[in-house]
Amino acid sequence: MKPKVAFFEFTSCEGCQLTVLDTLQRHPELLEVIEIVQFREAMTERSDDYQIAFIEGSCTRPSDEAKIREIRTQAQIVIAVGACAHLGGINAIRNRMPLDDVREYVYGDKKDWFETYPARPLSAVIKVDAVIPGCPIDRDEFAMAVTHLLQGRMPAIPDYPLCIECKLTENVCMFLRGQTCLGPITRAGCDAICPSCGQGCEGCRGLVPSPNLGSIKDALRERGMTEEQIDARLSLFLTYQTMQMDGVTPA
Amino acid sequence: MKILPKHSLKAWVDRLRATHRVVAPRETYGQYIFEEIENADDLVLDYHTSVLPPKKYLLPPREDLFAFNAKTMEMSPLIEEIQPTVIMALHTCDLHAITLLDKIQGTGHTDQHYQARRRKTTLVSIECLKPCMDHAFCKSMGTLAVPEGFDVHLTDLGDRYAVEIGSEQGEQLIEGLSLFWEPVEADYDRVNQVMAGKWPNFDYRLDCDVTDLPDLLAANQDSALWDEVGDTCLACGQCTKVCPTCYCFDVLDEIDLKLEHGKRIRVWDSCLIEKFAVVAGGHNFRSSQARRLRHRFLRKGKYQYESYGLLGCVGCGRCALSCPAHITPIGLLNTLAERRRPATEEASSQS
Repeated sequence: MKPKVAFFEFTSCEGCQLTVLDTLQRHPELLEVIEIVQFREAMTERSDDYQIAFIEGSCTRPSDEAKIREIRTQAQIVIAVGACAHLGGINAIRNRMPLDDVREYVYGDKKDWFETYPARPLSAVIKVDAVIPGCPIDRDEFAMAVTHLLQGRMPAIPDYPLCIECKLTENVCMFLRGQTCLGPITRAGCDAICPSCGQGCEGCRGLVPSPNLGSIKDALRERGMTEEQIDARLSLFLTYQTMQMDGVTPA
Repeated sequence: MKILPKHSLKAWVDRLRATHRVVAPRETYGQYIFEEIENADDLVLDYHTSVLPPKKYLLPPREDLFAFNAKTMEMSPLIEEIQPTVIMALHTCDLHAITLLDKIQGTGHTDQHYQARRRKTTLVSIECLKPCMDHAFCKSMGTLAVPEGFDVHLTDLGDRYAVEIGSEQGEQLIEGLSLFWEPVEADYDRVNQVMAGKWPNFDYRLDCDVTDLPDLLAANQDSALWDEVGDTCLACGQCTKVCPTCYCFDVLDEIDLKLEHGKRIRVWDSCLIEKFAVVAGGHNFRSSQARRLRHRFLRKGKYQYESYGLLGCVGCGRCALSCPAHITPIGLLNTLAERRRPATEEASSQS
């Protein structure tokens, strides 16, 4: 029997679900092995009878929590899909700023009309069984994650740094170009797509389990980055994780 | 010895390409990468170091081990058809590294996949006449001279190469080719001149004797330096990827979405990665970065020497070049040697 699968989104651009749709084109056999019962971006039918929930997006409103918990109650397996669900994503950049200032900046004098609170990953709200990292996720990694779930195991996502993959592609190291990169502290699995295109890693797949933040900051300073620039670099995808490491609660 | 005039080099490579895959360093964005030569014009013999060492042709970063069918439980071996390959322009450090790998992969449970590739591979090395980069310390490690058991070795004499043949496999690469001349007296003189002239171009960079390394490392297992350097190590693992003597691998299974056809593969692993020494149950035998870093140095400078009689470091300097935290073997080993000095003097005065 094919497992029943549902897709959900919270605060996100829905680009990861678009990547899932694209994966279905590249691996049409996915539809032979899973039954998709809910996927707003792709189909009209909608059933709440599912075993595996793939959730994109971060939780940015108190009222999101009830819906997220409801999915957790229904699904046997919950997978966080993409940087927003996994890390709080770029939505969490605001967490280091006073919330009221952020609301005013975005909504002006209508700031009290909209509900919001510091952005957080799904794992801050419910137990998440596994993540498929990235901004957006990688097509082949999504197919691999499904394969592993079908085998009855959790998706094996790399927990080593990006430098490993980057070196194997024999890219010119961004640091040797005098540029900057978060590859040494970022989880691999994207085949070093950004450095391969000449752009330093921004950390969208999240930190490796024991990142050496002190040493990466030294490396960035050495390439001429100011403290402000370093903080900005580490905030694009890594705000929630680095605040947790620093023991700082959102303003 | 034979002589190959430089103007005949391309003709030789073209001849080799008729029967072999010829791989050689190629310049890409200012660095050199070993790749197949599609055109003899692409051949470069004078290059600084390559990003990945040529061992990638003997131990590919990702290699299929066997195929399986999970429904029928059938397995089939997957030693792929290996093209006869010539690796061109190896620096002598890389040749020493392959000598070590041959010994390791040929001892005890020999590695069939390595052996299959190695049998089909002929190595053409080149004499290094000047340091290829600042980080190299081959002279200190004793790898600046060609090791025994080379196949073909070239020495640049200006308008010609001196060609030494070290094996039957090497002999086959030049056998019967009129491109190669017999040397005359002046060629021998020139070789002697070039060989004598090259040594002063290289510095001894290690402050202790290379034969002291195993003892130096043994005596300093508890040095505070490991913690100091461990604090700066990013654990990015680049040093292990670029190392010409690292051969640790991880084994993974891949299967299709229908859970039927799969492959067991192996990929390069890295002892600097946190998970490397984690065993079933979750215990990590090397729980800090300092310990993982120490393990790497002890393995290169002590354990491999004890097991195989050859040091695990050939002084190529690739790890030093690639480290974003500037951890270098020369820096680390010289600091150990420096710090040992008072202790050694104290110990000798006691005895």
